[in-house]
Amino acid sequence: MQINRRAFLGLSAAVATTALAAGAYAGWTLLHNGPQPLLLSARNDSAGKHFAVGYRLDGSQVFATQVSERCHDVIGHPFLPMALFVGRRPSTQSYLIDTRDGRLLQTVNSPKQRHFYGHAVFHKDGEWLYATENDTSDPGRGVLGVYRLQGEQLQRTGELSTHGIGPHQLLWLPDGETLAVANGGIRTEADSRVEMNLDAMESSLVLLRRDGSLISKEQLPERMNSVRHMAVAGDGTIVSGQQYMGELSDAVPLLAIKRPGQPFQHFPVADAQRQLMNQYTASVAIHSELRLLALTAPRGNRVFIWDLDSAELRLDAPLADCAGVGAVAEGFVVSSGMGRCRLYDCRSAQISSQPLQLPAGLWDNHLRLV
Amino acid sequence: MIRSPLTLALLGLTLVGCTPADPQQAVSSALVDGVLLPIYSTWSEADRQLAASGQAFCAGQQSLADARLAFASAQSTWAALQPALLGPLAEGNRAWQVQFWPDKKNLVARQVEALLNSKPELTPADLDKSSVVVQGLTAYEYLLFDPAIDLNVAEQKARYCPLIVAIGEHQRVLAADVLSQWQAEDGMATQLTSFPNARYAEAAEAVADILRTQVSAIDGLKKKLGTPLGRQSKGQPQPYQAEAWRSKASLANLAASLASAERIWLGAEQDGIQALLGSDQAGLQQRINAAYSDTRQRLTAIQRPLGELLSDEAGRAELNALYDSLDALHRLHEAELAKVLGIQLGFNSHDGD
Repeated sequence: MQINRRAFLGLSAAVATTALAAGAYAGWTLLHNGPQPLLLSARNDSAGKHFAVGYRLDGSQVFATQVSERCHDVIGHPFLPMALFVGRRPSTQSYLIDTRDGRLLQTVNSPKQRHFYGHAVFHKDGEWLYATENDTSDPGRGVLGVYRLQGEQLQRTGELSTHGIGPHQLLWLPDGETLAVANGGIRTEADSRVEMNLDAMESSLVLLRRDGSLISKEQLPERMNSVRHMAVAGDGTIVSGQQYMGELSDAVPLLAIKRPGQPFQHFPVADAQRQLMNQYTASVAIHSELRLLALTAPRGNRVFIWDLDSAELRLDAPLADCAGVGAVAEGFVVSSGMGRCRLYDCRSAQISSQPLQLPAGLWDNHLRLV
Repeated sequence: MIRSPLTLALLGLTLVGCTPADPQQAVSSALVDGVLLPIYSTWSEADRQLAASGQAFCAGQQSLADARLAFASAQSTWAALQPALLGPLAEGNRAWQVQFWPDKKNLVARQVEALLNSKPELTPADLDKSSVVVQGLTAYEYLLFDPAIDLNVAEQKARYCPLIVAIGEHQRVLAADVLSQWQAEDGMATQLTSFPNARYAEAAEAVADILRTQVSAIDGLKKKLGTPLGRQSKGQPQPYQAEAWRSKASLANLAASLASAERIWLGAEQDGIQALLGSDQAGLQQRINAAYSDTRQRLTAIQRPLGELLSDEAGRAELNALYDSLDALHRLHEAELAKVLGIQLGFNSHDGD
């Protein structure tokens, strides 16, 4: 225990400068001097090989580490230069990577009868990690795998219930102790992405404490609307993006919001934008300083930005297979499975976009700026 | 003066994007002028004639046979448009307003009848507010061709004419609107020609979008043939699941779509997608040419309508051979052409999370 603790602190001291930088979470400045944020994402190459990659936004590659399974989200450690690239469902592997050089620190295997769902979070103290997992002995039963960081290794110490089916993304509320979990409501088996229960989906937004105790569980009115991805604002506002599993012709809202102390409800989106989404949203991000909400809809090839408070539409732009989205000082960076990544500058009334010099295409659905 | 590497990188990209010698830009521009804009103009003109035909037929100034010809022309130009279905018409499910297929539950018949029962004096404005199922060519085809409807009977003609006129008008307005979005300043044609713009960062993205649309349409042709052949239903033929079964135009539509796909490949002046292949890829170019030729010749050789072919062994064998030919054509584009050109056909949008 003492040894582990020392190793843990030792690594921490070695990277004090990085730790300082990492604290400035959403305040990165892109077009000025000084360190640029590091963009972390899962990406494929054109031959179909999977990589965990880190790039500066000017296009310089920090690392591209080949991994055996495709990953989904990436979770940076709160102050150490490491990140977990989380296996995309139904993968049983995630990869702990040194973000300075891409060194693979550990291949994290899920235990028997569990697989990852592509998302995880590090606790703010840096010692604990929580990952959404599927209990394939009761397919779809949502589990939070609890992992402890000891040195450069994550050890699974136990698990909690997500109080729902088919959990997907999970995030901290601003207190850093309360977890929001999107239970997608869809049951799938081991080694499968095929839905088993479209006639009996049960999706929910759950808030729970770190000990696993349930604070609240809320549902949207449409049974086949799967809550999958979220973003949390500095004031605790939660936004979620849905994937609707019913008919393409059904008119179903795909964006929802839970403001502090208020119920979970649809975020007002005009029909024109809703129809452009093809019943499918991928990533959501919030810009806490500019009070903006960004959403990618890769099946509709569309990027949207709204004012978080007034719900005024700020951007509705085409981008083929748009994927991950993350906030930078100027606005949002958006990646794409098919085309170039873009920077959307949101500082003036008219949002402008610029292509970034990052490799084009093959970016997975999420990106993180650390 | 400029100290940020990112700013420099962005400037560099802008300059590269403006180079006129860019072969991707040359191909995209040539396809806009030689193939894509003509496809949209032809479609819009056919819908203008469809609207006029519907009005003339319902005013007793045109025969049913001529009304059916006008419909066949509109349907054929729509089939020809599908390999070029990118941009405004591809977004927000607008294409559904043109055609509702597949129609597994015969929603077209049910919704047309329900609509006319509730609104016997239907106006074009009423139709604009109705379901996409009844706004398009599939409903129009039902009205003109369904065996249960006889427009030579005055009562029936009186019942269905308000919808015939309204659909014609809806299609005319939709097509004119889409065409104007292509032709507008900063419209789709410009976005495919000068870069960067709000849609494409560079010409390569425009070419990729064109190729994806074309390849996806060829894949769609497999579905249009495979569905009635029963390839998704344990080999049991499903003649009423075919596109355009009522007007017996299923195979004619396939031929019209295929011709446009080939035109995007060749270009109006040999300046289409094929122009991007280097001389070292002459073999691939020849194989793709041969594959188009094979599919085209099989389609031309077929003498009977799809419904009839499905009903006997020899007919099904002919259709299965056509399917295999389409499949080979599709695989050449997907597995070889896209790879050689470095174009990603699908990633998150086809299998997201």
